[in-house]
Amino acid sequence: MAPSKKKHASSQPCIIPGGFAVLSLQFNSDSAARHSLYVKEHKVRAEKSSHRPLDRTLFVLNIPPYCSEEVVKELFSQFGNVESVELRDHPGSTQESGPKLSKFFRPSGKQGFNVGYVVFKKSSSLTAVKSHPHDVPLVVCTEQRPVRTGVQKWIQQYTESFIHPDKLQQTVDSFMENYDKHKEEEAERQKKEAEQQKEEEEGWVKVTRGNKGTKARPHSEAANQRTLRKEMRKKKRKELMNFYTWQHRNTQKEHIAELRKKFEEDKQRIALLRAQRKFRPY
Amino acid sequence: MILSDSFHEEEENEAPVKAKRTKPDAGEEEEVVYHPVKLSRNDLYRPPTAEELNQLKEAESLFHCSLLKMQMGELLKEVALSERRKQQIDSFIQTVTKLLQTVPDSPEVEVSDLSWLSGTVKVPFLLLPKITKGKFHMAPPASIDLIGSYPLGTCTKPHVMVDLAVTIPADVLHPKDVVNQRYPRKRALYLAGLAQYLTSSSDIGTMRYSCLHGNRLRPVLLLTPPDKNSSSFTVRVHACPPPGFFKPSRFHPQRNNIRTEWYTGLQTSYSESSEPPTPHYNSSVLGDLLPRTHLQFLSAISSQCSAFADGVALLKVWLRQRELNQGTGCFNGFLASMLMAYLLTTHRISNTMTAYQLLRNSLNFLASTDLTVNGISLARDADSTPTLAEFHSAFQVVFVDPSGHLNMCADMTACTYMQLQHEASVSMQFWDNPTVDGFHSLLMTPKPMIRTSDHVFQLCELVKLQSSCKKLNLLSELMDHSGNYVHTALPFILSLLQRGLDQRIQLLTHSLSPDPEVRKIDKQTEFRQLWGLRSELRRFQDGAITEAVLWDGESMCQKRLVPKQIITHLLQLHADIPESCVRYVGHSFNPCFALQVPSTGEEKSLAVVQSYDDLSRKLWRLEGLPLSITAVQGAHPALRYTQVFPPKPLKMDYSFFDKEKTCRSLVPKEGKPCPAYITPITVICHMEGSGKWPHDRLAIRHIRAAFHIQLGELLRKHHKYTCRPCPTHLDVWKDGLAFRIQVAYHREPQVLRESVNPEGLLVVRDNEEAQALEMATIHKPLLTSTLHGLQQQHPCFGAVCRLAKRWLGAQLFSDDITEDSADLLVASLFLQPAPFTPPGSPQVGFLRFLHLLSSFDWKNNPLVVNLNNQLTAADYTEIKNGFMASRESLPVMFIATPKDKKLSMWTRRAPNVQMLQRVMMVAAESLKVLEQQLMDGNQIQDVKVVMRPPLEVYDAVIHLNPKQVPLLSQAVDPPSVTFSRGVMTGSAAQSGGSLPVIDYNPVSLYLAELREAFGDLALFFCDPYGGTVIAVLWKPKAFSPVPFKTSQVSARSVKVTGDEANTVPNVEAILEDFQIMGKGLVKSVEARTEKWSF
Repeated sequence: MAPSKKKHASSQPCIIPGGFAVLSLQFNSDSAARHSLYVKEHKVRAEKSSHRPLDRTLFVLNIPPYCSEEVVKELFSQFGNVESVELRDHPGSTQESGPKLSKFFRPSGKQGFNVGYVVFKKSSSLTAVKSHPHDVPLVVCTEQRPVRTGVQKWIQQYTESFIHPDKLQQTVDSFMENYDKHKEEEAERQKKEAEQQKEEEEGWVKVTRGNKGTKARPHSEAANQRTLRKEMRKKKRKELMNFYTWQHRNTQKEHIAELRKKFEEDKQRIALLRAQRKFRPY
Repeated sequence: MILSDSFHEEEENEAPVKAKRTKPDAGEEEEVVYHPVKLSRNDLYRPPTAEELNQLKEAESLFHCSLLKMQMGELLKEVALSERRKQQIDSFIQTVTKLLQTVPDSPEVEVSDLSWLSGTVKVPFLLLPKITKGKFHMAPPASIDLIGSYPLGTCTKPHVMVDLAVTIPADVLHPKDVVNQRYPRKRALYLAGLAQYLTSSSDIGTMRYSCLHGNRLRPVLLLTPPDKNSSSFTVRVHACPPPGFFKPSRFHPQRNNIRTEWYTGLQTSYSESSEPPTPHYNSSVLGDLLPRTHLQFLSAISSQCSAFADGVALLKVWLRQRELNQGTGCFNGFLASMLMAYLLTTHRISNTMTAYQLLRNSLNFLASTDLTVNGISLARDADSTPTLAEFHSAFQVVFVDPSGHLNMCADMTACTYMQLQHEASVSMQFWDNPTVDGFHSLLMTPKPMIRTSDHVFQLCELVKLQSSCKKLNLLSELMDHSGNYVHTALPFILSLLQRGLDQRIQLLTHSLSPDPEVRKIDKQTEFRQLWGLRSELRRFQDGAITEAVLWDGESMCQKRLVPKQIITHLLQLHADIPESCVRYVGHSFNPCFALQVPSTGEEKSLAVVQSYDDLSRKLWRLEGLPLSITAVQGAHPALRYTQVFPPKPLKMDYSFFDKEKTCRSLVPKEGKPCPAYITPITVICHMEGSGKWPHDRLAIRHIRAAFHIQLGELLRKHHKYTCRPCPTHLDVWKDGLAFRIQVAYHREPQVLRESVNPEGLLVVRDNEEAQALEMATIHKPLLTSTLHGLQQQHPCFGAVCRLAKRWLGAQLFSDDITEDSADLLVASLFLQPAPFTPPGSPQVGFLRFLHLLSSFDWKNNPLVVNLNNQLTAADYTEIKNGFMASRESLPVMFIATPKDKKLSMWTRRAPNVQMLQRVMMVAAESLKVLEQQLMDGNQIQDVKVVMRPPLEVYDAVIHLNPKQVPLLSQAVDPPSVTFSRGVMTGSAAQSGGSLPVIDYNPVSLYLAELREAFGDLALFFCDPYGGTVIAVLWKPKAFSPVPFKTSQVSARSVKVTGDEANTVPNVEAILEDFQIMGKGLVKSVEARTEKWSF
């Protein structure tokens, strides 16, 4: 926080180059130092994500680690009703992929400084945020809304880390059920596709290496390399070593060249060590 | 604090020293970087000349590679005297010679009359007894000659000594002066006279007296040049009688030249022929007569063999690194030249050999010849000189000079020679080992005593030795040594200890296998004599009744102290040396782990391993699992005896905790001190591979969770263990210890690596996740079992590891040199000890660890740890070549193991260059402080000095509340206040009960949060073993203002100047965040520097 700024910031919002508004944030009312939140309306050229509507989403930078999604939601409720809050460790589009995981299996998020996407119910709230005076800080931890940090938080975390085995078993079972279903569907689909293909080709049946019904081996890099290597080996086996006089001579020549190269290498290594003064015995 | 001061000095001093060194060859110093050699085709394949062919062939057959040959060449260049230095020496010698020739005559006085000397000049001689007959006067020397190594060309740096022989004119001496120390006294007076004359001259720098090789009968005068390079060389002035002045036959080792009557001042009944012989006195006088002839002899040899000087220089370096050329009765450079001359004259070395071969052959000769039994002689004609047998009866080590009269090893004790022999044979062993850097171990690594021997005993208050001389009845020997009671008593005490300790190994194992030697009846009386009252008759388990001594020692660390008990007992009994005079340095590190005196916790490790073995057996026997278990492996330092503080079985006090209802577990209570920390001991449980395993990363994780639940269920049902399954692991509470079982599937890393690219091709790409998994489930268990094996071979391996890791922790380096890398570093000390032998005590191991850390050349060499001896010479070359080829991209600290030849996975994450640099510096400093402290009898032994790091260098210090630091009692200096941590005394319950609080350590949780939040702004350091401070170091780079970017604003505040917005770290808020995030744990945050205010 630039101290010079504080002085002549009357109840004016502070906008910095780049279009970000600076909000100050303090942990509780006794805190002396403040963090700055940098906020701006969410603006991306190519995003069609439905859960970050462009006109109602606020992009927030530099959210301290002790602010969870709930805390951020409450902090911004003073500007209007908040629909959802999403915290991430770096800005970017969402890439939700794969099946939804239960909370036991989700990787734990980073506890550092976050960026947030706050979605308001109304777009007017965005202007309210941006015109919030700079010297009135948002307060994280208040009487009504205590935020746990330190030892309290760790004890809570430890307590919450317990999972009842039955619950865990249930999660696993339901996931595996889904997985198996998914697998079966996939197999079904492939089979259907294969049949379709067969029918499509006007009575021509494609003959593959495996016997009928088995799916062809998926192409893989490793398999490609294996074949190449096999070819090389075959070629090598046919070669004759040291058979002709010229071959023998060549081998000898190679040997001397090898020795020479090693000699040169050693010489260089020594020069290097000498330069670093590595030969002083004491 | 000593440490902190010296650190700063070090940093300051570094710069000028470097600058000075680089000055002479600044041209070639410039950035020499290793490039792979590129020779053009023409160069490589041009037809070789005969000479080149010879050279290449020689390099191939004689050396492992031409590298060794070149290295030796470079070393010789470093120790040889430069031409400039030689000129300096020559000119100084000329001035000194000129000065000495003008020494004025003085009137003749009685020998005992010292009034002619001015008060400032002392006589370098102990004038006891006071009365001597004879006359003395000063006169200019008859001749002044250079002798010794300088004219011979074998003089080496550092400590260049130039020997100058000044011949006392014949009229000062009398042929009968040999008797009763008359000659040595006159010699000393003559030196004092020279010194008195030289003090007035301005051409001489400093002047000191010294004794030649510690022999007080042969004082010498040391002169240095006056100018600033005074330390570069020293001239040693010897006073000698004219050649042939005394008859050599007078100095036969069986003749007496000091009369008892004169020496004791009492009337004795000895006739001249029955007086006790004085061989040491004789040889020291004779030594003065011969230096010129020795020089002639050696010059003749040297002129025949071109590599003689270089060979001697190498041998001298070898001796010096082993501290064999220092002190009384050492194997000095002169003996080295003489030894080589002997080998040349007896045709064991041919004149055409190279310096490398000369060194090798001399070491081979030393290793295979025992001069204490079969002495050697350089004398040509054996008549009229004493026989070797006569020499052997008078001296312990025999090496006769060319004249045949002088034993050049007169002062050497058998033990010194044994040490020499031992060193030579060790050197020969590793010389041929292609996996050892022979050159480095042979000639570059210093071997000081404290780092070589497992136990070091020091005798303080040497005055007490006087009484031991009396007790051992050594009057005539004392006379021979002219009253030097230390030299007199030494051989006797050594042989006494030799006898005592030889038996030690048999005695230690007495209850198991009494050695037949002990049982022999004729030995019994001797045995009883040796051990005195401590000896008693004991009946052994096999029924044999023998004489034995029982040493007490219950724990491992006490057993290590048995040699101390033996030595103090023997010395007390036979040599009248009280226990208080024996200073033993070997157990001084025990306080570092002393939670409960007097144990060092090695037994606790054993208990943990036993409990684990039991668990593993039970896991194997479990029935009802869908897939069978294929392996159970431990993956925790406690299971290889290297955990600094091994976990100890605990019994919990339930009332101290809150309870968690669903899982019957204890939970820490707010407001109470943090509960005792329970380390989870990781156990990896490999399941059988089967088609039933899914081929999908998420599905595998869920299946593993299912296995954890099922394992826990079975263990609870069959063995009543309290279990807590999680998706990632299963915690088992057993015997008061917590085990963390992780199920592993061997194909999982492979599945993690596979992915399908857009073209539909299955590609295999390495990634972090797969590596981490492999590390946890494959490499760590393997390392644990391998090191467990190493501990079985070397019982003190674990203790050294623990000491090393305690030091790293205390110096706040735990995060940079991880536990596994530290264990590997220590393992390398045991697996490749050259030039030492594997450490036999924790202390010597720790000192070598520090030396390894501080001196290893990480930039140019990989550290190869040959676990299980799996690597061959070819592997070594492969590792080295791979290392050289891609040095830049490899970790700074490169450790290769048989399973990891290319990547150094254990050190990939840390340390970085700066931290390694600091670790090296601190290690060097710690080593210096420790060695000084351990070797200096007057200092108080407080080895913890090296465990208290200075905190001045850090920018901020976070003080923690000791109440919330669960490992407080492990601190280097544990505070006097202790907190109740919910642990009851008494033995731990077998099984069942509530699950205690496992792996809950607020300090490490806090550190993890800090690093996650501020890792790019600062570094955090903390001693994991009970440290109550966290030291913070700002990263200088993070503090320069950067333009406002959405990806780089964490904890930064904006400064707007015109159109530009720059950000700098918001330090006030960060410091407050330290408080907020560690609420309850942090006592205070102290900002030390003002670095951030620009």
